[in-house]
Amino acid sequence: MKQRSISFNWMAVAFVLAIAMIIPFVLEKHPYYVHIFILVFLFGYLSTAWGLVGQSGQLSFGHAVFVGLGGYTSTILFMDYGVTPWVGMFAGAIVATLFGLIIGYPTLRLRGPYFALSTLVFGLILQTYVVNTQMLGPINLRGAMGLLLPLKNGGDAPAVFQFATKTPYYFIALAMMVSVVLLSYLLNRTRIGSYWTAIRSDQEAAESLGINAGRYRLLAFLLSCALTALGGTLWAQYFHYINAERGMALSLSIEIVLVGVVGGWQTVSGPMIGAMIIIPISELLRAQLGGGFAGLHTLIYGLILMGVILWLPKGLNPLVMRGLKWLGDRLWSTSPSVRTPEDSGR
Amino acid sequence: MAETLISALVAGLLVGGLYAVVAIGLSLIFGIIRVINFAHGSFLMASMYAGFWLWHLWGIDPYLSIIIVVPLAFLGGYGVQHFLIRPMFQRERTYVVEPLGVLLLMAGLDMVMANGALLFFKSDFRAVTVLYGSAAIRLGFLTIPITRLVLLVISVFLAFGLSWLLSRTELGNGIRAVGQNREAAALCGLNVYHIFALTFGLGCAVTAFGGCAMLPFYFVDPSMGLPLAIKSFIIVVLGGLGSIPGALLAGLMIGVVESVGGQFVTATSASIFSLIIFLFIVFFRPKGLMGVLEA
Repeated sequence: MKQRSISFNWMAVAFVLAIAMIIPFVLEKHPYYVHIFILVFLFGYLSTAWGLVGQSGQLSFGHAVFVGLGGYTSTILFMDYGVTPWVGMFAGAIVATLFGLIIGYPTLRLRGPYFALSTLVFGLILQTYVVNTQMLGPINLRGAMGLLLPLKNGGDAPAVFQFATKTPYYFIALAMMVSVVLLSYLLNRTRIGSYWTAIRSDQEAAESLGINAGRYRLLAFLLSCALTALGGTLWAQYFHYINAERGMALSLSIEIVLVGVVGGWQTVSGPMIGAMIIIPISELLRAQLGGGFAGLHTLIYGLILMGVILWLPKGLNPLVMRGLKWLGDRLWSTSPSVRTPEDSGR
Repeated sequence: MAETLISALVAGLLVGGLYAVVAIGLSLIFGIIRVINFAHGSFLMASMYAGFWLWHLWGIDPYLSIIIVVPLAFLGGYGVQHFLIRPMFQRERTYVVEPLGVLLLMAGLDMVMANGALLFFKSDFRAVTVLYGSAAIRLGFLTIPITRLVLLVISVFLAFGLSWLLSRTELGNGIRAVGQNREAAALCGLNVYHIFALTFGLGCAVTAFGGCAMLPFYFVDPSMGLPLAIKSFIIVVLGGLGSIPGALLAGLMIGVVESVGGQFVTATSASIFSLIIFLFIVFFRPKGLMGVLEA
């Protein structure tokens, strides 16, 4: 992405955003489709936040826990202490960062799969605990019941992050996804991003140059935890409900991983593209097939995951980018130079 | 109180035998080939379904079905390694070393197998009913179900058999060499990928052996795989990567901890406890109890 492409790429981004701006008004009569868009943005957000860990060369299999921690913190603060979720979401981010420190500090120094396995196990511990615990000291966790968000003014109270229609949620989710992708993009252009790339490509070489791999991995992980927790609050506010059985589940962690990997983990825009592809497929399959073919859509997920890993190790991101490039060159055929598609893969 | 404790201890050992037999197979795959085999539990599930259908359709006794299921599992494991994982390993040479790719591949395979079973066999719990299913030995206040005792004995035999194979045979030497240093083993003239595939097949065969022996007292259902796979990871890491006796010991330990711990605290707290053991091992002693390979 250099020279000419910059203005062109930003134009394309602005164009897509402009379309995204009018979608909820066009689809006003079809809330279900708006719902799918919100899910796409939510998972695009969560997977991009998850992808920060991937950029430092590690794989987290417990990210659902941070969704749950964010959602639980803000919702409990709202239900029992009257704190608005707009503030609570940042409290959730802090709580998630602290938990991230507990799991990340000892494991990110280790090589190999220990981090991936530890995050998975950590997720199971926390989920099992929350499902089976009514009270944690003075905090009312409500066990397996989960947290049902009390609606204020019938769910029409912007001051406490509750809206009557889907449109505000749509824009909040969109804004969050765009911000996190932008953040990831900008981080990639700083020194930290270069360190991540170096650690990911060859940890030994990076360390021999004096980069503290453990520290920069921890930084990526903690940032990712905090951002994921913010998404957890959005989750709880949008669904008006969060429970550990779903909101901290291994299956949710795997869904976040799947979206990220199919789009292209270790790339900036990959997880977002993954969400745009995976989420509609799953929603439509679920709606079309329903209970008749239990397991079919997860089976298809698994096949997609295997296919991408085997044949497209960088995910669908480079493919989509190449397609967009081709389209762009067709539309703006006057452009003098053409960058190689690989450049835009990052 | 003492009686309760002793019964809990015995029950724990019996459950531990089950854990161990699943973990021993994984120990080969995880410890030697370094594949985070997410699908390990699904391989167990598949072999148990095979045993179940052999019994259901043709009335073949689960213990007898071992002769059919184990070779099939070996071929299946060999095939998975040869056709799915080997291309990933070969790519690693040219690209960055990325063992996480294989992990994700196996996670995908697990989704395919578990949901394939759900699609074709439905979510019903299937069980084999055999005449000796409820037979038990009574020793004073203790009641020991024979089928579970058999599984414990099998797990001990498999562990010792595999240890013998690894330390005393040509193939075992090859497997250990490949596990220690892939490049050096290749330079010594070993066909690394063939040995990997044999190891994977062997791991699956051991698991299938245990799976058939579990059938007389254990339900089969499509979602049984992942929880058992995770438990096996815990056991393998606890026992030490690449150590077969370690896996046996750790399996028995986890079984006893859960069973005895369950006498004092709730069952969920006991299962959380075994997960916490895993984190402690990873944090403070990544080598595990009897680790032979450095982390």
